[in-house]
Amino acid sequence: MAKLKDIRNRIKSVKSIQKVTQAMKMVAAAKMRRAQERMEEARPYADRLSGVIYNLLPDVERELLDLLDVREVKRVGYVVVSSDRGMAGSFNTNILKKAQNEIDAIGKKIVDVFCIGKKARDHFKRRDYTIIESHTDFWNELSFGHAIKMGDVIISHFTNKYVDEIHVVYNEFINVASQKIQSDILLPLVFDEEADQITGRLYEPNKEDIIKSLIPRHLNIQMWKYLLESYASEQAARMVAMENATDNANDMIKNLTLQFNKARQAAITTEMLEIVSGAEALKK
Amino acid sequence: MSTFQLEIVTPTKILDEGYIEHVRCPGLDGYFGIMANHRGAIIAIGIGEIKVTQNGKDHYLATSGGFIEISKAKVELLLETYERADTIDIQRAESAMQRAKERKQAKDIDIARNKASLLRAVNRLKVSRR
Repeated sequence: MAKLKDIRNRIKSVKSIQKVTQAMKMVAAAKMRRAQERMEEARPYADRLSGVIYNLLPDVERELLDLLDVREVKRVGYVVVSSDRGMAGSFNTNILKKAQNEIDAIGKKIVDVFCIGKKARDHFKRRDYTIIESHTDFWNELSFGHAIKMGDVIISHFTNKYVDEIHVVYNEFINVASQKIQSDILLPLVFDEEADQITGRLYEPNKEDIIKSLIPRHLNIQMWKYLLESYASEQAARMVAMENATDNANDMIKNLTLQFNKARQAAITTEMLEIVSGAEALKK
Repeated sequence: MSTFQLEIVTPTKILDEGYIEHVRCPGLDGYFGIMANHRGAIIAIGIGEIKVTQNGKDHYLATSGGFIEISKAKVELLLETYERADTIDIQRAESAMQRAKERKQAKDIDIARNKASLLRAVNRLKVSRR
Protein backbone atom coordinates (compact mmCIF):
# COMPACT_ATOMS: atom_id res chain seq x y z
CA MET A 1 0.00 0.00 0.00
CA ALA A 2 3.01 2.31 0.46
CA LYS A 3 3.19 2.74 -3.27
CA LEU A 4 -0.25 4.30 -3.47
CA LYS A 5 0.64 6.88 -0.89
CA ASP A 6 3.90 7.72 -2.67
CA ILE A 7 2.09 8.40 -5.90
CA ARG A 8 -0.48 10.53 -4.12
CA ASN A 9 2.30 12.63 -2.58
CA ARG A 10 4.00 13.09 -5.89
CA ILE A 11 0.78 14.24 -7.52
CA LYS A 12 0.37 16.75 -4.72
CA SER A 13 3.86 18.17 -5.10
CA VAL A 14 3.61 18.41 -8.87
CA LYS A 15 0.32 20.23 -8.48
CA SER A 16 1.84 22.79 -6.13
CA ILE A 17 4.77 23.32 -8.49
CA GLN A 18 2.30 23.83 -11.27
CA LYS A 19 0.58 26.51 -9.25
CA VAL A 20 3.88 28.35 -8.90
CA THR A 21 4.75 28.13 -12.59
CA GLN A 22 1.25 29.21 -13.51
CA ALA A 23 1.54 32.28 -11.28
CA MET A 24 4.99 33.12 -12.63
CA LYS A 25 3.65 32.90 -16.12
CA MET A 26 0.88 35.36 -15.36
CA VAL A 27 3.26 37.80 -13.69
CA ALA A 28 5.69 37.59 -16.59
CA ALA A 29 2.87 38.18 -19.06
CA ALA A 30 1.76 41.32 -17.23
CA LYS A 31 5.31 42.64 -16.96
CA MET A 32 5.96 41.92 -20.59
CA ARG A 33 2.91 43.86 -21.65
CA ARG A 34 4.05 46.83 -19.60
CA ALA A 35 7.54 46.66 -21.10
CA GLN A 36 6.10 46.48 -24.57
CA GLU A 37 4.04 49.59 -23.92
CA ARG A 38 7.11 51.43 -22.74
CA MET A 39 8.96 50.41 -25.87
CA GLU A 40 6.17 51.84 -27.96
CA GLU A 41 6.27 55.04 -25.95
CA ALA A 42 10.01 55.46 -26.35
CA ARG A 43 10.02 54.90 -30.08
CA PRO A 44 8.76 58.30 -31.35
CA TYR A 45 11.35 60.19 -29.32
CA ALA A 46 14.14 57.93 -30.51
CA ASP A 47 13.01 58.18 -34.13
CA ARG A 48 12.78 61.98 -34.15
CA LEU A 49 16.12 62.28 -32.45
CA SER A 50 17.98 60.07 -34.86
CA GLY A 51 16.10 61.73 -37.71
CA VAL A 52 17.50 65.12 -36.77
CA ILE A 53 20.99 63.74 -36.21
CA TYR A 54 21.02 61.99 -39.59
CA ASN A 55 19.91 65.22 -41.11
CA LEU A 56 22.64 67.32 -39.57
CA LEU A 57 25.55 64.94 -39.58
CA PRO A 58 26.69 65.43 -43.20
CA ASP A 59 27.16 69.14 -42.47
CA VAL A 60 29.22 68.65 -39.34
CA GLU A 61 32.90 67.91 -39.00
CA ARG A 62 33.36 64.57 -37.30
CA GLU A 63 36.47 65.75 -35.46
CA LEU A 64 34.32 68.17 -33.55
CA LEU A 65 32.93 65.59 -31.22
CA ASP A 66 34.81 62.88 -29.39
CA LEU A 67 31.75 60.64 -29.55
CA LEU A 68 32.08 60.51 -33.32
CA ASP A 69 35.78 59.85 -33.12
CA VAL A 70 36.76 56.74 -35.07
CA ARG A 71 40.04 55.50 -33.64
CA GLU A 72 42.25 52.55 -34.29
CA VAL A 73 40.80 49.77 -32.16
CA LYS A 74 43.20 48.71 -29.45
CA ARG A 75 40.81 47.97 -26.63
CA VAL A 76 37.12 47.15 -26.77
CA GLY A 77 34.29 47.65 -24.31
CA TYR A 78 31.47 45.14 -24.10
CA VAL A 79 28.11 45.83 -22.53
CA VAL A 80 26.25 42.61 -21.78
CA VAL A 81 22.58 42.97 -20.94
CA SER A 82 21.25 39.98 -19.00
CA SER A 83 18.66 39.58 -16.25
CA ASP A 84 18.81 39.34 -12.48
CA ARG A 85 16.77 36.18 -12.17
CA GLY A 86 16.72 32.86 -13.88
CA MET A 87 13.70 30.68 -14.68
CA ALA A 88 13.54 32.22 -18.12
CA GLY A 89 14.48 29.30 -20.31
CA SER A 90 17.65 29.81 -22.30
CA PHE A 91 17.45 33.60 -22.11
CA ASN A 92 20.62 34.17 -20.11
CA THR A 93 22.54 31.13 -21.32
CA ASN A 94 22.27 32.21 -24.92
CA ILE A 95 23.21 35.82 -24.37
CA LEU A 96 26.18 34.93 -22.18
CA LYS A 97 27.40 32.33 -24.62
CA LYS A 98 27.22 34.78 -27.50
CA ALA A 99 28.93 37.55 -25.54
CA GLN A 100 31.68 35.25 -24.34
CA ASN A 101 32.31 33.93 -27.83
CA GLU A 102 32.64 37.43 -29.21
CA ILE A 103 34.88 38.58 -26.40
CA ASP A 104 37.11 35.53 -26.69
CA ALA A 105 37.40 36.08 -30.42
CA ILE A 106 38.79 39.57 -29.77
CA GLY A 107 40.90 38.44 -26.83
CA LYS A 108 39.88 38.38 -23.21
CA LYS A 109 42.81 40.61 -22.21
CA ILE A 110 41.84 43.60 -24.32
CA VAL A 111 38.14 43.65 -23.47
CA ASP A 112 36.48 45.62 -20.69
CA VAL A 113 33.08 44.26 -19.68
CA PHE A 114 30.10 46.18 -18.36
CA CYS A 115 27.63 43.76 -16.80
CA ILE A 116 23.96 44.58 -16.65
CA GLY A 117 21.99 42.09 -14.59
CA LYS A 118 23.19 39.63 -11.98
CA LYS A 119 23.56 36.74 -14.37
CA ALA A 120 26.14 38.51 -16.53
CA ARG A 121 28.04 39.72 -13.49
CA ASP A 122 28.24 36.26 -11.94
CA HIS A 123 29.19 34.66 -15.23
CA PHE A 124 32.05 37.00 -16.10
CA LYS A 125 33.28 37.39 -12.55
CA ARG A 126 33.68 33.66 -12.17
CA ARG A 127 35.69 33.51 -15.37
CA ASP A 128 37.96 36.40 -14.46
CA TYR A 129 37.08 38.92 -17.11
CA THR A 130 37.88 42.60 -16.62
CA ILE A 131 34.63 43.98 -15.27
CA ILE A 132 34.48 47.76 -15.14
CA GLU A 133 31.02 48.08 -13.69
CA SER A 134 27.98 45.95 -12.92
CA HIS A 135 24.41 47.07 -12.51
CA THR A 136 22.09 44.72 -10.68
CA ASP A 137 18.79 44.79 -8.81
CA PHE A 138 17.17 47.58 -10.72
CA TRP A 139 14.98 45.74 -13.22
CA ASN A 140 11.88 45.89 -11.07
CA GLU A 141 11.88 49.67 -10.89
CA LEU A 142 13.45 50.20 -14.29
CA SER A 143 13.36 53.87 -15.28
CA PHE A 144 14.95 56.20 -17.78
CA GLY A 145 17.23 57.40 -15.00
CA HIS A 146 18.94 54.01 -14.96
CA ALA A 147 19.66 54.28 -18.66
CA ILE A 148 21.22 57.71 -18.16
CA LYS A 149 23.34 56.51 -15.25
CA MET A 150 24.65 53.47 -17.10
CA GLY A 151 25.10 55.43 -20.30
CA ASP A 152 27.19 58.10 -18.58
CA VAL A 153 29.72 55.61 -17.26
CA ILE A 154 29.96 53.71 -20.51
CA ILE A 155 30.26 56.85 -22.61
CA SER A 156 32.91 58.43 -20.42
CA HIS A 157 34.87 55.19 -20.61
CA PHE A 158 34.93 55.76 -24.34
CA THR A 159 35.62 59.50 -24.30
CA ASN A 160 38.46 59.00 -21.81
CA LYS A 161 39.96 56.73 -24.46
CA TYR A 162 40.13 53.63 -22.25
CA VAL A 163 38.44 51.77 -25.08
CA ASP A 164 38.12 52.57 -28.77
CA GLU A 165 34.85 50.80 -29.44
CA ILE A 166 31.80 49.88 -27.42
CA HIS A 167 29.70 46.86 -28.30
CA VAL A 168 26.36 45.99 -26.79
CA VAL A 169 25.04 42.44 -26.65
CA TYR A 170 21.36 42.23 -25.82
CA ASN A 171 18.16 40.36 -26.60
CA GLU A 172 15.95 42.07 -29.11
CA PHE A 173 12.25 41.61 -28.61
CA ILE A 174 10.64 40.37 -31.81
CA ASN A 175 7.48 38.83 -30.48
CA VAL A 176 6.36 36.74 -27.56
CA ALA A 177 7.69 33.54 -29.07
CA SER A 178 11.02 34.80 -30.34
CA GLN A 179 13.85 36.97 -29.13
CA LYS A 180 16.88 37.65 -31.21
CA ILE A 181 20.33 38.11 -29.80
CA GLN A 182 21.81 41.29 -31.18
CA SER A 183 25.31 42.63 -31.08
CA ASP A 184 25.45 46.34 -31.87
CA ILE A 185 28.25 48.85 -31.95
CA LEU A 186 27.19 51.73 -29.72
CA LEU A 187 30.31 53.85 -30.11
CA PRO A 188 31.79 55.41 -32.13
CA LEU A 189 28.58 56.49 -33.76
CA VAL A 190 28.28 55.62 -37.41
CA PHE A 191 25.40 56.84 -39.47
CA ASP A 192 24.40 56.09 -43.00
CA GLU A 193 25.20 59.30 -44.75
CA GLU A 194 22.21 59.21 -47.04
CA ALA A 195 19.34 61.02 -45.42
CA ASP A 196 16.61 63.12 -46.90
CA GLN A 197 17.84 66.65 -46.53
CA ILE A 198 15.40 69.25 -45.35
CA THR A 199 16.59 72.61 -46.55
CA GLY A 200 15.72 76.11 -45.54
CA ARG A 201 15.51 75.27 -41.89
CA LEU A 202 16.77 77.49 -39.16
CA TYR A 203 19.24 76.06 -36.67
CA GLU A 204 19.68 77.76 -33.35
CA PRO A 205 22.32 78.29 -31.94
CA ASN A 206 24.08 76.42 -34.79
CA LYS A 207 24.32 72.95 -36.26
CA GLU A 208 27.43 72.01 -34.33
CA ASP A 209 26.00 72.89 -30.94
CA ILE A 210 22.75 71.12 -31.71
CA ILE A 211 24.63 67.96 -32.67
CA LYS A 212 26.71 68.30 -29.52
CA SER A 213 23.66 68.38 -27.31
CA LEU A 214 21.75 65.77 -29.29
CA ILE A 215 24.30 62.99 -29.45
CA PRO A 216 24.51 62.32 -25.71
CA ARG A 217 20.71 62.26 -25.65
CA HIS A 218 20.72 59.87 -28.57
CA LEU A 219 23.04 57.54 -26.68
CA ASN A 220 20.86 57.72 -23.59
CA ILE A 221 17.84 56.73 -25.56
CA GLN A 222 19.79 53.91 -27.20
CA MET A 223 20.73 52.64 -23.78
CA TRP A 224 17.10 52.91 -22.71
CA LYS A 225 16.08 50.97 -25.79
CA TYR A 226 18.53 48.18 -25.00
CA LEU A 227 17.22 47.92 -21.46
CA LEU A 228 13.60 47.86 -22.54
CA GLU A 229 14.17 45.34 -25.33
CA SER A 230 16.04 43.07 -22.98
CA TYR A 231 13.45 43.41 -20.24
CA ALA A 232 10.57 42.62 -22.57
CA SER A 233 12.52 39.67 -23.97
CA GLU A 234 13.29 38.37 -20.51
CA GLN A 235 9.66 38.45 -19.52
CA ALA A 236 8.60 36.84 -22.80
CA ALA A 237 11.19 34.10 -22.38
CA ARG A 238 10.07 33.51 -18.82
CA MET A 239 6.45 33.44 -19.86
CA VAL A 240 7.10 30.79 -22.49
CA ALA A 241 9.32 28.76 -20.16
CA MET A 242 6.71 28.82 -17.43
CA GLU A 243 3.97 27.95 -19.87
CA ASN A 244 5.97 24.88 -20.93
CA ALA A 245 6.59 24.00 -17.31
CA THR A 246 2.88 24.22 -16.58
CA ASP A 247 2.10 21.99 -19.56
CA ASN A 248 4.72 19.49 -18.49
CA ALA A 249 3.27 19.46 -15.00
CA ASN A 250 -0.11 18.73 -16.53
CA ASP A 251 1.32 15.76 -18.42
CA MET A 252 3.00 14.53 -15.30
CA ILE A 253 -0.18 14.79 -13.30
CA LYS A 254 -2.02 12.86 -16.00
CA ASN A 255 0.56 10.07 -16.00
CA LEU A 256 0.73 9.91 -12.25
CA THR A 257 -3.04 9.79 -11.94
CA LEU A 258 -3.10 6.94 -14.41
CA GLN A 259 -0.45 5.13 -12.44
CA PHE A 260 -2.32 5.83 -9.25
CA ASN A 261 -5.55 4.43 -10.63
CA LYS A 262 -3.81 1.36 -11.97
CA ALA A 263 -2.14 0.73 -8.64
CA ARG A 264 -5.42 1.23 -6.83
CA GLN A 265 -7.17 -1.15 -9.21
CA ALA A 266 -4.43 -3.72 -8.73
CA ALA A 267 -4.73 -3.42 -5.00
CA ILE A 268 -8.50 -3.94 -5.14
CA THR A 269 -8.09 -6.92 -7.43
CA THR A 270 -5.58 -8.62 -5.15
CA GLU A 271 -7.75 -7.94 -2.15
CA MET A 272 -10.80 -9.47 -3.86
CA LEU A 273 -8.74 -12.41 -5.00
CA GLU A 274 -7.68 -13.00 -1.44
CA ILE A 275 -11.27 -12.84 -0.16
CA VAL A 276 -12.58 -15.12 -2.89
CA SER A 277 -9.84 -17.67 -2.48
CA GLY A 278 -10.34 -17.52 1.31
CA ALA A 279 -14.08 -18.16 0.91
CA GLU A 280 -13.33 -20.90 -1.61
CA ALA A 281 -11.03 -22.57 0.90
CA LEU A 282 -13.70 -22.45 3.59
CA LYS A 283 -16.27 -24.15 1.34
CA LYS A 284 -14.15 -27.25 0.88
CA MET B 1 -5.36 84.68 -32.56
CA SER B 2 -4.07 81.99 -34.86
CA THR B 3 -3.09 78.74 -33.25
CA PHE B 4 -0.80 75.83 -33.95
CA GLN B 5 -0.52 72.27 -32.75
CA LEU B 6 2.02 71.45 -30.05
CA GLU B 7 3.18 67.99 -29.13
CA ILE B 8 5.56 67.14 -26.33
CA VAL B 9 7.57 63.98 -26.92
CA THR B 10 9.72 62.41 -24.20
CA PRO B 11 11.37 59.01 -23.91
CA THR B 12 8.55 57.81 -21.68
CA LYS B 13 5.44 59.51 -23.00
CA ILE B 14 3.86 61.66 -25.64
CA LEU B 15 1.60 64.52 -24.71
CA ASP B 16 -0.60 66.25 -27.21
CA GLU B 17 -1.10 69.78 -25.96
CA GLY B 18 -3.62 70.50 -28.70
CA TYR B 19 -3.85 73.89 -30.40
CA ILE B 20 -2.05 76.70 -28.65
CA GLU B 21 -1.25 80.31 -29.38
CA HIS B 22 2.25 80.73 -28.04
CA VAL B 23 5.06 78.78 -26.46
CA ARG B 24 8.10 80.25 -24.77
CA CYS B 25 11.18 78.04 -24.40
CA PRO B 26 14.57 78.31 -22.73
CA GLY B 27 17.07 78.32 -25.60
CA LEU B 28 20.75 77.88 -24.96
CA ASP B 29 21.29 81.63 -25.41
CA GLY B 30 18.12 82.82 -23.69
CA TYR B 31 14.36 82.51 -23.88
CA PHE B 32 12.53 82.67 -27.18
CA GLY B 33 8.90 82.53 -28.17
CA ILE B 34 7.19 80.66 -30.99
CA MET B 35 3.91 81.67 -32.55
CA ALA B 36 1.87 80.23 -35.39
CA ASN B 37 3.38 80.11 -38.91
CA HIS B 38 6.94 80.13 -37.67
CA ARG B 39 9.61 79.25 -40.18
CA GLY B 40 10.89 75.66 -40.02
CA ALA B 41 13.61 75.33 -37.44
CA ILE B 42 15.43 73.15 -34.97
CA ILE B 43 16.41 74.90 -31.80
CA ALA B 44 18.23 73.43 -28.84
CA ILE B 45 16.66 73.89 -25.44
CA GLY B 46 18.47 74.07 -22.12
CA ILE B 47 17.35 73.77 -18.52
CA GLY B 48 14.52 76.16 -17.78
CA GLU B 49 10.81 76.74 -17.85
CA ILE B 50 8.46 76.42 -20.78
CA LYS B 51 5.41 78.62 -20.91
CA VAL B 52 2.49 77.42 -22.98
CA THR B 53 -0.35 79.82 -23.77
CA GLN B 54 -3.61 78.15 -24.66
CA ASN B 55 -6.94 80.01 -24.92
CA GLY B 56 -5.35 83.03 -23.30
CA LYS B 57 -4.24 81.02 -20.26
CA ASP B 58 -0.66 80.20 -19.38
CA HIS B 59 0.73 77.08 -17.88
CA TYR B 60 4.29 76.23 -17.05
CA LEU B 61 6.56 73.21 -17.42
CA ALA B 62 10.02 72.62 -16.02
CA THR B 63 12.42 70.86 -18.37
CA SER B 64 15.94 69.56 -18.24
CA GLY B 65 16.54 70.24 -21.90
CA GLY B 66 16.00 68.87 -25.36
CA PHE B 67 15.11 70.61 -28.58
CA ILE B 68 12.18 71.95 -30.51
CA GLU B 69 11.38 70.97 -34.07
CA ILE B 70 9.20 73.39 -35.96
CA SER B 71 7.59 72.33 -39.20
CA LYS B 72 4.61 73.56 -41.18
CA ALA B 73 2.25 70.96 -39.80
CA LYS B 74 3.07 71.22 -36.14
CA VAL B 75 5.59 72.04 -33.47
CA GLU B 76 7.21 69.28 -31.49
CA LEU B 77 9.07 69.67 -28.24
CA LEU B 78 11.47 66.78 -27.77
CA LEU B 79 12.39 66.88 -24.13
CA GLU B 80 14.43 64.55 -22.02
CA THR B 81 12.14 65.24 -19.06
CA TYR B 82 9.41 67.70 -18.22
CA GLU B 83 7.17 68.33 -15.25
CA ARG B 84 4.07 70.44 -15.03
CA ALA B 85 4.24 73.15 -12.43
CA ASP B 86 1.51 71.55 -10.31
CA THR B 87 3.07 68.06 -10.27
CA ILE B 88 6.56 69.04 -9.15
CA ASP B 89 7.67 67.35 -5.96
CA ILE B 90 8.96 70.38 -4.08
CA GLN B 91 10.56 68.36 -1.31
CA ARG B 92 12.52 66.24 -3.74
CA ALA B 93 13.69 69.32 -5.63
CA GLU B 94 14.73 71.00 -2.39
CA SER B 95 16.72 68.02 -1.21
CA ALA B 96 18.35 67.73 -4.64
CA MET B 97 19.35 71.37 -4.38
CA GLN B 98 20.73 70.81 -0.89
CA ARG B 99 22.75 67.82 -2.06
CA ALA B 100 24.18 69.69 -5.01
CA LYS B 101 25.14 72.63 -2.79
CA GLU B 102 26.89 70.33 -0.33
CA ARG B 103 28.77 68.58 -3.08
CA LYS B 104 30.11 71.94 -4.23
CA GLN B 105 32.49 71.96 -1.26
CA ALA B 106 33.81 68.48 -1.96
CA LYS B 107 36.81 67.94 -4.18
CA ASP B 108 37.18 65.51 -7.08
CA ILE B 109 33.61 65.80 -8.29
CA ASP B 110 32.32 66.29 -11.78
CA ILE B 111 31.80 70.04 -11.56
CA ALA B 112 29.80 70.34 -14.76
CA ARG B 113 27.43 67.57 -13.69
CA ASN B 114 26.94 68.99 -10.23
CA LYS B 115 26.25 72.41 -11.67
CA ALA B 116 23.67 70.91 -14.01
CA SER B 117 21.86 69.10 -11.23
CA LEU B 118 21.86 72.26 -9.11
CA LEU B 119 20.43 74.21 -12.03
CA ARG B 120 17.75 71.57 -12.57
CA ALA B 121 16.71 71.65 -8.93
CA VAL B 122 16.61 75.44 -8.77
CA ASN B 123 14.61 75.52 -11.98
CA ARG B 124 12.07 73.02 -10.70
CA LEU B 125 11.60 75.02 -7.53
CA LYS B 126 11.13 78.19 -9.53
CA VAL B 127 8.54 76.62 -11.80
CA SER B 128 6.71 75.00 -8.90
CA ARG B 129 6.02 78.44 -7.48
CA ARG B 130 4.17 79.49 -10.62
